[in-house]
Amino acid sequence: MTRLRRSFGAPLAALIVLLTGIWVLGLIAAPQVIMIEQSLWKMDRPAGADELSVQIDRLYNRLDMLALDRAAARTLSTPSATDAKLAQIDAERAAVAAEIADLETRESTPVRTWTLTNYAQMGQAHLRIFAKTILAALAVTAIAFAVCYPIAFAIAKLEPPRRAALIMLALVIPYAINELLRVFAWQMILNYGGPLNAALGLLGIGPVPFLESGSGVFVAMVYAYILFMVFPLYNVLETLDMNQIEAARDLGAKTWQIHRRIVLPHARPGIAVGCIMTFMLSAGSYSVPYIMTRGTAAPWFAQLVYNRFFQASDWNVGAAYAVSLLAVCTGFVFLMMRLLKVRLRDIAK
Amino acid sequence: MTRTGSGLLLRIYMGVFFLYMFLPLAIMVAAGFNDYSPPSVTVWKGFTLHWFTELWQDRRMWSGLANSVLIAGAVIALALPMGLAGALLLGRLGSRAAGVLYTAMVSPLLTPGIILGISTVIFWRGLDVSAGLFTAILAQTTFIASYTMLMFMARLQRQDGALEEAALDLGATPFQAFRRITLPFLRPTILTAAVIAFLQSFENYNTTMFAIGGEHTLVTEIGSRMRFGLSPAINALGILFILATVAFALAWAALKAHERRAAEQAT
Amino acid sequence: MTPTPSGMDIALSGAAVRFGTFQAVHPTDLTIEAGEFFSILGPSGCGKTTILRLLSGFLDPSEGEVRIGGQPMAGIGPSDRPTALIFQNLALFPLMTVWENVAFGLEMRGWKTARRRARAFELLDMVALGGQGDKLPSELSGGQRQRVAIARALAVEPAVLLLDEPLSALDLKLRQHMRAELKQLQETTGITFVYITHDQGEALTMSDRVAVMNRGRIVQVGSADDVYDRPATAFVATFVGEMNRLPGRIESVAEGRARIATAGGSFLAPNPGGLAPGAEAVLFLRPERLHLLAPGEAAANVLEGGLVRRDMEGAFSTLIVETGAGRLTVQRVNSGSGGLPAGPLRLGFADRAGVILPAGETADDAA
Ligand SMILES: Nc1ncnc2c1ncn2[C@@H]1O[C@H](COP(=O)(O)OP(=O)(O)O)[C@@H](O)[C@H]1O
Ligand SMILES: [Mg+2]
Repeated sequence: MTRLRRSFGAPLAALIVLLTGIWVLGLIAAPQVIMIEQSLWKMDRPAGADELSVQIDRLYNRLDMLALDRAAARTLSTPSATDAKLAQIDAERAAVAAEIADLETRESTPVRTWTLTNYAQMGQAHLRIFAKTILAALAVTAIAFAVCYPIAFAIAKLEPPRRAALIMLALVIPYAINELLRVFAWQMILNYGGPLNAALGLLGIGPVPFLESGSGVFVAMVYAYILFMVFPLYNVLETLDMNQIEAARDLGAKTWQIHRRIVLPHARPGIAVGCIMTFMLSAGSYSVPYIMTRGTAAPWFAQLVYNRFFQASDWNVGAAYAVSLLAVCTGFVFLMMRLLKVRLRDIAK
Repeated sequence: MTRTGSGLLLRIYMGVFFLYMFLPLAIMVAAGFNDYSPPSVTVWKGFTLHWFTELWQDRRMWSGLANSVLIAGAVIALALPMGLAGALLLGRLGSRAAGVLYTAMVSPLLTPGIILGISTVIFWRGLDVSAGLFTAILAQTTFIASYTMLMFMARLQRQDGALEEAALDLGATPFQAFRRITLPFLRPTILTAAVIAFLQSFENYNTTMFAIGGEHTLVTEIGSRMRFGLSPAINALGILFILATVAFALAWAALKAHERRAAEQAT
Repeated sequence: MTPTPSGMDIALSGAAVRFGTFQAVHPTDLTIEAGEFFSILGPSGCGKTTILRLLSGFLDPSEGEVRIGGQPMAGIGPSDRPTALIFQNLALFPLMTVWENVAFGLEMRGWKTARRRARAFELLDMVALGGQGDKLPSELSGGQRQRVAIARALAVEPAVLLLDEPLSALDLKLRQHMRAELKQLQETTGITFVYITHDQGEALTMSDRVAVMNRGRIVQVGSADDVYDRPATAFVATFVGEMNRLPGRIESVAEGRARIATAGGSFLAPNPGGLAPGAEAVLFLRPERLHLLAPGEAAANVLEGGLVRRDMEGAFSTLIVETGAGRLTVQRVNSGSGGLPAGPLRLGFADRAGVILPAGETADDAA
């Protein structure tokens, strides 16, 4: 803190701490904490609700008894005795009625109960969708890496620098164009009457219901997120000294050995970034399944989350779903960092 | 011989990859000029600009555009100071504290967008603020400030620490040194960060969709129309997006080339 | 011109700097006179810059005290000290023009634009950069940038100018030229200069006094002659200039001198440390103090050897001679008569030529 004040002066230092604090605590940490908290409770019947209802039943019986007593009291000998008895009975009836009212509100007012059942709510069907989403995201990541590694390597190391810059600029265009438009293009292509089915028709196949079967989602996902793999890979490979490759070749390494021993180890931070981004975007993608399936195929996990919140209005279960997704993504980040031996610091480009 | 052979193979592979990247966009563009609805390229009914006029008259698109610009402006106003403050703070902390803070500040980039949106809405609902433009702004700021922070951090790392010290040594107060030395040094990054923040905000779908409640932006509106792909007006809008992106990329490249030439002349 | 400011004196008493557990500067007592050209000489990483940062106020001593002009400096930041620092890499502000750089300190002191611009151009004239004021630093040559840095520091009229290896980025010719300029500048301004360098040539030619530093300690303070001719430790002896080393054992002592028995014979030399007979010691001997003896010529100390190599270096030649005490370097003025006669060589040196010091860390060990 003294260092900060010394570097910027007290007012500026205070402003810096304040702004960072609002961002890190107010925008990043607090919402996550509240979301996790929300996933851990639900509104439930109060504890001992069963006993309460037994008690209420008993009180109703008592009320009936009092009504009988009251009828009996009318036939008492002296009017004064009758009045006294009636007053006594009425007072008791009022007391019992009040107690019933109190117990009934207690019985019917839900209380916040801490529980893990929100997570258990997922059930077989939703669990299967969750697993399908995660597996698809893993597959998208693997495919993207396999497709992009040769591309990134070829651009970074085999093209002359000027042309490499030009190629990357060309790739920026599909990368920068809105994700929705990229997905929409594939919706058109894979549509029942789209160009792909038209081409298949010429071969006497189809038409294939790509969109309705859900396979279109996967194809469009690869397309939508593949460039998030290219750029990080290209950035690290560009910094690889060509002399290292040549030295290895000079020492007798074969192409695959050069990649395994020189290029891939150098590219670790880029691989980590690319895989994390691709996985995270695919696993949490709402737009791609939303647009590609048009609601005709089984939903993906992000859609389930959306439905919990905005259709079923069950925010506690929705929060539990969101936290599950968050946990998987966080786990994937740690896994990649562990596997590739990179730290978060290396990841920033 | 094998070297050139594998080189050729790589070339072909790259060509296929580029075809894969651009052909879908070309198909979408073509459908935007086809006088046939729903958007199609298999049935060609002739060239038309009709869909552009239809788009022009679409009120919801215009209000979405207004919201998008409003949100982006607010996000810039929040994410730039926050990202800069974070980067400055990071540079003055011990390595342990800096590590923790850094992790916290980049974590939104590693979090699925829908979670940022959802958690923001949950948080503000607890304070009786319902989802809308406000929550969309905050949810976007959460991760866009991470981008600006990284940009400022990279720039600050390239600054020669001796410059600020020289200013102090010559009698500047810390604030003066910051204003006269560091801030001018950061100016180009401030501009770039503002542009990046604008684009990130304007184009965002996943986070916004979950955070915006009943309101809409241009992109969420596109999303809700696309699902059914009814009118090629969406394609027309896509064409405009592509044109803007291409123009932007070219301008960017020109600017970079200009900067590089200026730098070469300076040395 | 404003009247030339006069220098202030500097006093370190027990000042030390620790970074965590690492002792960068051990407790140091040091006095620098007002108006003195004082150099701190030492190998890279020995703590020179750290001492300078202590004086300029970027660092506080972990213990001890710094006084400038008699005033304790504790709690006074760099902005408020009567010092100006010239950075190792100059640290010119790249986005400001040359004159704006020079006027920056005046701007911070609230001078109006016209006045500080005029003063900046005056100072630029003084460092022979009259026409360059409106350029950017990046448009100047290395030597010109150097002068801008000097003018910028002088603009705030410091009583002490702190220079951190300011010439290290220049080429040899320019470096020698700038040495003379700096020395002259110091004499005309009367400012105290504290000059840091790892280049002994710079330190010896410019300074009134030199402090030699090693591993966070000042090991000797004295004039250039003192440190060259009367080194206090083995480290100083070997760090400043070339040195032959003849290890041995003290035989006898008398009148500040001692006789030392080495593998090449027994020699008489000054014994400033007062080493007692029987002590392990080293005889240090400068190459230029060793002479080739003509046949029959006598000397206080004599040893014989065979020539291994002769390197012609222009004014001098360097001979490598294999003797009983190992290989010795001999420097010899070229007389124009060419090479040497074949056969064994006799070397001689005066009884005041060498110096006997306790064995200890030398510059070669440190490197
Ligand atoms: N801020 C610091 N933190 C830790 N160690 C430092 C710091 N500054 C300098 N050092 C260490 O102190 C020693 C002396 O550094 P310095 O004074 O810069 O040496 P030089 O004599 O080359 O100028 C070096 O070993 C350096 O690594
Ligand atoms: Mg130094």
